[in-house]
Amino acid sequence: MNAIILSAAFGVVMMLCSFLIKNKSNFRHIASVALLILLIGNIADTYGYTFFAIDTHGMLQFNRFGLLFNSIAIGSTLLYVLLTGKEIENAGMHVAEYFTLILFVLCGVTLLSAYNNLLTLFLGIEIMSIPLYILTGSDKRNMKSNEAALKYFLMGSFSTGLMLMGIALTYGGTGTFSLEVVRNAPNMYKGLVSFLEILGLLFLLVSMAFKVSAAPFHFWTPDVYDGAPSVFTSFMATIVKAAGFIAFIKLCAVRMAETESVVDWKMIYAIIIVATLLVGNITAVFQQSVKRMLAYSSIAQAGFMLFTLISLNDMAYEGILLYSAAYSLATIGIFAVLVKMKDYTFDGYNGLAKTQPVLAATNTVFLLSLSGIPLTAGFFAKYYMLAAVVKTGNYTWLVITGVLFAAVSVYYYFRVIQAMYFKEGNAETTTIVPSFKYGLIALAAIIILLGIFPTLLLRWLYF
Amino acid sequence: MTLLNMFLDTAAANSAANYLPIGIQIFFAIGFVATMLVLSNFMGPKRKTSDKLETFASGIETHGDARQPMAIKYFLVAILFVLFDVEVIFFYPYAVNFKELGWAGFGEIVLFVAFFLAGFVYIIKKGALNWED
Repeated sequence: MNAIILSAAFGVVMMLCSFLIKNKSNFRHIASVALLILLIGNIADTYGYTFFAIDTHGMLQFNRFGLLFNSIAIGSTLLYVLLTGKEIENAGMHVAEYFTLILFVLCGVTLLSAYNNLLTLFLGIEIMSIPLYILTGSDKRNMKSNEAALKYFLMGSFSTGLMLMGIALTYGGTGTFSLEVVRNAPNMYKGLVSFLEILGLLFLLVSMAFKVSAAPFHFWTPDVYDGAPSVFTSFMATIVKAAGFIAFIKLCAVRMAETESVVDWKMIYAIIIVATLLVGNITAVFQQSVKRMLAYSSIAQAGFMLFTLISLNDMAYEGILLYSAAYSLATIGIFAVLVKMKDYTFDGYNGLAKTQPVLAATNTVFLLSLSGIPLTAGFFAKYYMLAAVVKTGNYTWLVITGVLFAAVSVYYYFRVIQAMYFKEGNAETTTIVPSFKYGLIALAAIIILLGIFPTLLLRWLYF
Repeated sequence: MTLLNMFLDTAAANSAANYLPIGIQIFFAIGFVATMLVLSNFMGPKRKTSDKLETFASGIETHGDARQPMAIKYFLVAILFVLFDVEVIFFYPYAVNFKELGWAGFGEIVLFVAFFLAGFVYIIKKGALNWED
C-alpha cells in the first residue's frame, strides 16, 4: 500500500516541481530521492509497517511475492534514473514530466503486483500504459518517435478494449469481478464453467499477451521500441514488461487454473511460448541495428519468462523474480551504453574496447547475462525457469526448445561483443563522465554477484 | 344552428369531413399572411441603399471576413474539459450517498478534489490556457 500511495503522491509533487523549480538538473536528484523513499516505504511495507491503513474491500491483496517484486522494480528504476538520468534530461523539453510519468508508471506496477480483482487489474494496466504512450512520443520533432507513439497508442487501446470485453464477459459468466470465484455459490451451476467465462478469459489472455509482447501479438514491439527515445525504450523493455508478467502470472495461476478442466490452457501457453521464442530469436538474428536487435531480444526474453505459466510452482515464482531482476538490470545497462553511442548499428560498436574499455567490458557482462552464460544472473534466471518446468514432469519438449533457442540467442548477443573486441574501427561515443563508468561497474558487479549467489535476492521471499 | 349540428354530426361520424374546420383555418391563416406580405410589398415605401445589404453588426461598420480561421487550441481545451467534466461525474454517486458516507467520505472527496486541483494548478502554470502564443 505504501508504494502505491507514495508513488502517486511523488508523481504529483514532481509534476508541481516542473514549474516551481527552474534548474533542469535538479529534477534528476529529486526523482532519485523520491525513488529512494519509495523503496524504503515498500521495504517497510514488506515487514508490516504500513503507513496508510486503507480497507480496499479485497480489491488488493499484498503478499511477500508481490512486495518483493515491487522492491525489485523500484530498485531497478532507481538504478535506471541514477545511470541514465542525464539522458532523460536530453530526451526533450519537459524533463520533470518524464520523471512524473515514470513515477506514475511505478504506481501502476505496484497496483499490478497486488491486484485481486479484475477491475484493479484493468486500472493497473491502464495507469502503467498511458504514461508510456506519452513517453514514447516525447521526442516531438522526430517522425519515428511520433509514429511509434501513435502506433503504440492505437494498438494499446485496441488491446485494452479486448481486455474490457474479456472482463465484461467473465463478469457475465461468474457474476463477480473478483479474481477468485466461489464456484459453489448458490447462484452458479455447480461444477459447471460458463461458456462466457471461457470466452472472456481467452480475451484477457490475448490482451495480456499483447501487453507483454508475446507472439503472435508482438508486432507493435519492434517499431515502438525502435522509435521511442532510447532511454525510455530501456524503461519500457524492463520494469514495465516484468510487471506485465507478474500480472499475467497471477491471472493464469488463479483464473485459468480454475477452468483447467474445460480448456487445456497449458497447451495454449506452450504454443505461445514456442511462437514467441521462434519469432524473437530468429528475427533478432537478422537485425542490423543494435536497438532493434534488443527489441526482438526482449520478445525472446518474454518467451522465457512465459515458462512460469507452465510450471506455476515455488521454483517458478522464485525464477520469475530472479529473471525480472537479471533481465531488467542487464537491459538497463545495455541501453545505458547504447544511448552513449553515436551509431546504433552493429558497426557502430566496432573497436569500442579500444576507445572505451570500461564500457565495452561492462557491456560484455550485460550481454553475457542476457544470453545466460554461467556466473551471470541471467544463467540462474534461465536455469530456474527451465528447472521449474522439468520439476512438473511434463513438457520436456518445451524445455528442449527453450535451450535450443537460448543457444540461438547467443549468436546475436555475441555479435555485439565481437564488434567491440575483434573488429577494427573507431566507435564514437558522446562524452563519458567517470561517475557513469562507476555506475556501470556497480551494475555489472550486481549482475555477477546475483549470478554467483542467486539466493541473495531470493531469500527475501521467505524472511 | 343547422351548421353547428352538421359539425357535431360529422364529429360523431368521425370521418374526413371532421377536419374541415382545421382546413378552413389553415387556408385563412396562409391566405391572410400572403395577402399582407404582397400588399405591403406593393404599397409600402422603399429606400434602396447599399448599406442595407451589408451584414448587421450592431450599427458598427463591418470589417474583414467572418469566414477566416482562428486559432483556438481546440484539442487542448477539449481534453481539459473532458478531465474536469469527468470529475463532476464522480460527484453524482457521492452526492447520492452523501449521508451514509459521513466524514470519511467527505475526506476522500476532498482528497480527490485536491488531486484535481493540483492538476489544474499545473495546467495553468504551464500556460495551457494561454490562447495567444
